[in-house]
Amino acid sequence: MSSEYERPERDDDATACAYTSYDNDEDVEYDEKESVDGEVPATGRGAEGVERRVWQALYEVEDPEMPISIVDLGLIYGVSVEDGVAAVDMTLTYTGCPARDMLINEVKQSVSAVEGVDTAEIAVVWSPGWTVDMVTEQGKESLREFGLSV
Amino acid sequence: MAAADDATFASTDDLDETEQEAVQDLLFRLADDELVLAERYTEWQVRAPTLESDISMANIAQDELGHARLWYEVLKDFGHDETDLIWERDADDFRHSTLVEQPFAEGDWADAIVRAYLYDVAEDIQLHALENSTFEPIRDRVGKVLGEEDYHLEYATNWLERLAADDEGRENVQDAVDRLYPYALTLFEPTDEEVEATIVERGLRGEDLVELRDTWHDRVSDFLESIGIEVPGLDLPDQYDVHISPDELPEHLGRDGDHTDHWESLLDEMTEAYDELGRDYATHIMDDDE
Repeated sequence: MSSEYERPERDDDATACAYTSYDNDEDVEYDEKESVDGEVPATGRGAEGVERRVWQALYEVEDPEMPISIVDLGLIYGVSVEDGVAAVDMTLTYTGCPARDMLINEVKQSVSAVEGVDTAEIAVVWSPGWTVDMVTEQGKESLREFGLSV
Repeated sequence: MAAADDATFASTDDLDETEQEAVQDLLFRLADDELVLAERYTEWQVRAPTLESDISMANIAQDELGHARLWYEVLKDFGHDETDLIWERDADDFRHSTLVEQPFAEGDWADAIVRAYLYDVAEDIQLHALENSTFEPIRDRVGKVLGEEDYHLEYATNWLERLAADDEGRENVQDAVDRLYPYALTLFEPTDEEVEATIVERGLRGEDLVELRDTWHDRVSDFLESIGIEVPGLDLPDQYDVHISPDELPEHLGRDGDHTDHWESLLDEMTEAYDELGRDYATHIMDDDE
């Protein structure tokens, strides 16, 4: 069996991956993002006023493990602001997500800091369940850049 | 037995007292099974037969913990908190089946795989029976959980096929099936017959435990027999009232709070750090609310 196996050889033209940091295109605002089909996730396209600022704040929150905004990742299912109370419905990619508390806390802090928001209420929802199809086209590009095949 | 009408319950506020009891009962069954099985699985971390299986078991344990959390979260809506749900709960208040608390004999990988298989088939059947639950918070969670369960079954059947491919492995699998099958039957025992009747009457679960068990038995037997493993028949008594329990049930069912001695020592182990540190509430890395 082992005689059949050919050990892979180094390709002389190959170079090691030089990426150590991944920059998002800073000029792109959230509302230019293409949303995926269906009601969720939401991307905040067309939001105005304080809700627009909340979306912008959410767009700046990145997944703890990959250089992608949680909005592009498709985690945000809905945002509404009423009388200074911002309600955010979000999901997680995985029920056993070890970064759960950290991510929810970061969302809460980012949204609370938005001008016009007094309190932020974050609800974690599971329906419909997140799948990789919920990542926006821009998000997929970020993930490809990171080396994932999506 | 369908729901009396097409009533659905959007939240705990829509439930009367009887329904509240039934929903909590259903949730405790789901959550406690997942928590305790995950706790047992972690014993295989760094001890499984290959590096890949170490990682797989650890990952499956993490999945089951995630699912336990999803169900415990709904219980929080009934006023429970993590401290009383896990860290300060008495051993005989847990409602998991005695299948998941059984210890593994040292190095008995066949036991781990057979147990995972018997459990995962039962979980799959049960989750499908919850897809149309009249209680929304349960129904809304089922899809995500099912999506994370498929590969558990794939993993278990794949290993069973390999283990059963030679005489020694097949014997180990057969021993594990003979030993674990009665315990697996406790997965389908009611925690309380009256409460169980409410679960079905109000459509909280689409099928009763006997229907789930029949489906499970057929599916498990078909597959195990196809790889040369004998599966005990399901011997049911002639007379029954509400729920039919098979004759093969073990002495301790778990569902009724009566567990084997292994549970108390496992719970002690699980809460050892909490006890050693003299805690009286569950601490979090991040505060839920500032």
